[in-house]
Amino acid sequence: MSTAAASAPVPLNRRLKRWPGWVVLLGVVIVALLIGATRSTGPLTDEDRLDGIAQHIACPECEGESVYESQSPAAQNIRIQIKSLISQGTYSDDQIIAYVETNFGTKTQLVPKATGFDAVVWALPVFAGVCAIAGLTVAFRRWRTAADTVPTESDRALVDAALAEQDDEH
Amino acid sequence: MLGATVNGTLGHSVLLVGLICATFGALATVYGIRTGDARLLRTTQRYAFGVALAGVAAFGIMERALVDRDFTLAYVQQVGSADTPFLFNITAIWSALEGSILLWLLILVGYTAVIARRFRKRLADPLVAWALVVMFVVCIFFFVLTLGPADAFRAGAVGVTKGTGPNPLLQNHILVLFHPPILYLGYVGMTVPFAFAIAALITGRVGERWLTETRRFALFAWGFLTIGILLGGWWSYEVLGWSGVWGWDPVENASLLPWLTGTAYIHSVLVQERRGMLRVWNLTLLVSTFALTILGTFLTRSGVIKSVHAFSNGTIGPYLLSFFGIIAVVSLGLIAWRGDRLRSPGAIDSPMSREGAFLANNVLFTVFAFVVLLVTVFPLIVEALQNRTIKVGSPYFESMVVPFGLVLLFLMAVAPVLPWRKASTELLRDRLFWPAWVGVIAILVPLVVGATGFAALLAFGLGGFAAGAASRQLILATRRQGLRGLVGRANGGMVVHIGVIIVAVALVASTTYTHSSVIELSVGKQASYGGHTFELVAVEGFTTARSNGVRAKVRVDNAKDYSPAITTYTAFGSNVPTPSVRNGVLDDIYLTIEPGAAPGDKTATIKVFIKPLVVWLWIGGLLMVVGTGLSGFPGKRRRRPTDPTSAPIPVDGAGPDPVSQEPVSV
Repeated sequence: MSTAAASAPVPLNRRLKRWPGWVVLLGVVIVALLIGATRSTGPLTDEDRLDGIAQHIACPECEGESVYESQSPAAQNIRIQIKSLISQGTYSDDQIIAYVETNFGTKTQLVPKATGFDAVVWALPVFAGVCAIAGLTVAFRRWRTAADTVPTESDRALVDAALAEQDDEH
Repeated sequence: MLGATVNGTLGHSVLLVGLICATFGALATVYGIRTGDARLLRTTQRYAFGVALAGVAAFGIMERALVDRDFTLAYVQQVGSADTPFLFNITAIWSALEGSILLWLLILVGYTAVIARRFRKRLADPLVAWALVVMFVVCIFFFVLTLGPADAFRAGAVGVTKGTGPNPLLQNHILVLFHPPILYLGYVGMTVPFAFAIAALITGRVGERWLTETRRFALFAWGFLTIGILLGGWWSYEVLGWSGVWGWDPVENASLLPWLTGTAYIHSVLVQERRGMLRVWNLTLLVSTFALTILGTFLTRSGVIKSVHAFSNGTIGPYLLSFFGIIAVVSLGLIAWRGDRLRSPGAIDSPMSREGAFLANNVLFTVFAFVVLLVTVFPLIVEALQNRTIKVGSPYFESMVVPFGLVLLFLMAVAPVLPWRKASTELLRDRLFWPAWVGVIAILVPLVVGATGFAALLAFGLGGFAAGAASRQLILATRRQGLRGLVGRANGGMVVHIGVIIVAVALVASTTYTHSSVIELSVGKQASYGGHTFELVAVEGFTTARSNGVRAKVRVDNAKDYSPAITTYTAFGSNVPTPSVRNGVLDDIYLTIEPGAAPGDKTATIKVFIKPLVVWLWIGGLLMVVGTGLSGFPGKRRRRPTDPTSAPIPVDGAGPDPVSQEPVSV
């Protein structure tokens, strides 16, 4: 009986799920992502560029809106300026943003700089992420160690109390 | 004039009655608990109903004042107008600070009454009694607000006979009727699990019982918060004219913060119910969720942060900040006090386990909530420390949300197939294989139709992977249990997951692949863009009692006409663009009219956005709602409600839970 079971063919479903199947899958994913990442996105229209730039600039007379979102006259004026610079075809996006910053005030950028105190807004999320990963690692390691220990009297008392409380509630 | 006086006096009177009821309710309940007077505790239901009646009456009186255009009230002078249509007159109540606090109060007293009614047979139970005390205390705070810094019934200037009506953006779309109340149902609903958490800490009954009792309330509140946020996105899309659904505005962030911590909670609570672990963590999440609703309200209602949504720079700020401080201090103090009882008896054996994935998910949500909070208040910190102003907008948040979203999708793919305690590599290989191939297909299909971009394609792939894992769980469950395999927390949760994945994929597609162009249209001549044709039919003017404007009639693809418009609200003098959208399964055509058009013109400048998959945002949202509803239904009955989910389930054949045991290879 056991010999028959051992010699029985492994179902196709099981065979596919072995490591070679996963390697093929990973290969397909890598190739597909590489094609997608390196493929040209096609020409952007002037309006696409305008939208992208306008999303980075705060409307100077609005409450928390970007030039892209706002319909205020000031935002419309800045959009016209940006469009004019784009149509000249010689300015990069950064140059256009710098132009707007110079001509419409220094508070117009919606992306904080990575220098000075503003860098905190970039550094803290990374720091929080690193702390989270470190915390998880420490916690899992501690739990693994704790799982190997023998329960103490205090642990047993805690469990007894919890069970008693559960029974009381019923 | 007499009616006006009646409205103001009645409003103040019922609010005062509500305040007294809430105060007596809290005091009587505490006294009853202290003296063990069960008879007195059973009467607290009356105070809860009294508070509810007062809140409902106050709201009703303000509605009456708005409908009657009672301009002797300052609030009606602010948001009322004889020209505002009836529907928007009704919704005008939540279009400014004072009325929005009245709406908050209305929902809060509703929840208080529901708790009193739901637990009417256990009012003498200290856990329920303390929970009611917390509800009463929160009610007291909001009654004080409505009688103090957010007094909607304050008398206005004498002799005013007309008002401007609500902000133009709050009187041009039907969603103004649904978005704020539904969002508040979620926002305020978080008070209920918070109240029970505090009650559990006070009574020392920090086991799993209170969790199971408030599970549906937490789910209900989370569901409404989710719907409210999605409806806000829809409203923004349909009304604001920039074609987006989320602007990372401080007020939007304020609604997202409790959603993030609430989402973490509804996952980690499963670990506590199952393994008795993460007690402090769950309590902290609940307290944080409630506290964030108050902090968010402070940030957006005190005037410290500028936003298109923000209402006020009045005196409400210190009240909200003080209340937030009290919540934080009291909650943390109670958690510290009960530290000995909160020690978790168990341990997470392996990161490759269901509980390990839930914990990772929790840390992810919490870190993201921290980032959103930090960046939302960062301009305030800079201003306070360096006396200069900075602004942080969508591009920053979008750069942060990409890694968060990708890791989250990965966890959504892996977690559903993980068993509790520990998974072997072989098991993962077996259970994840076909979901992973769904992910591969989700990359290949967009690639074939021309999609580009590493992050977007990876998101599609992980979305497919996660959808495959969720579908696998549902297939296994329905194969065993038929349609009943769609209900219950685990299976309903998978439906929610599929909804979230659809929303995520639609967001990625619509933000990455949106294209736009400005087109000069002439009557009778066709122009093309993005594979569609556009033809100007006419430029028309229109006038109503409160506004006038111009609209361009544009024929799209030689079929239906769409009419983007610009409306000028005469009382405000501001121009409000109204987009016109052709919804489609694959893409939306979003039209706005550029300024400068006049009625009768033979030409018009139109901005066209081609936005892929937007309609799937709403379909995914609907699925999330359905899934939340299915999660609220009981799955298979356990022997006792407090049994851990691992307890043997008496199924028809008295065998083990088929889904969790997973004997079938799929």
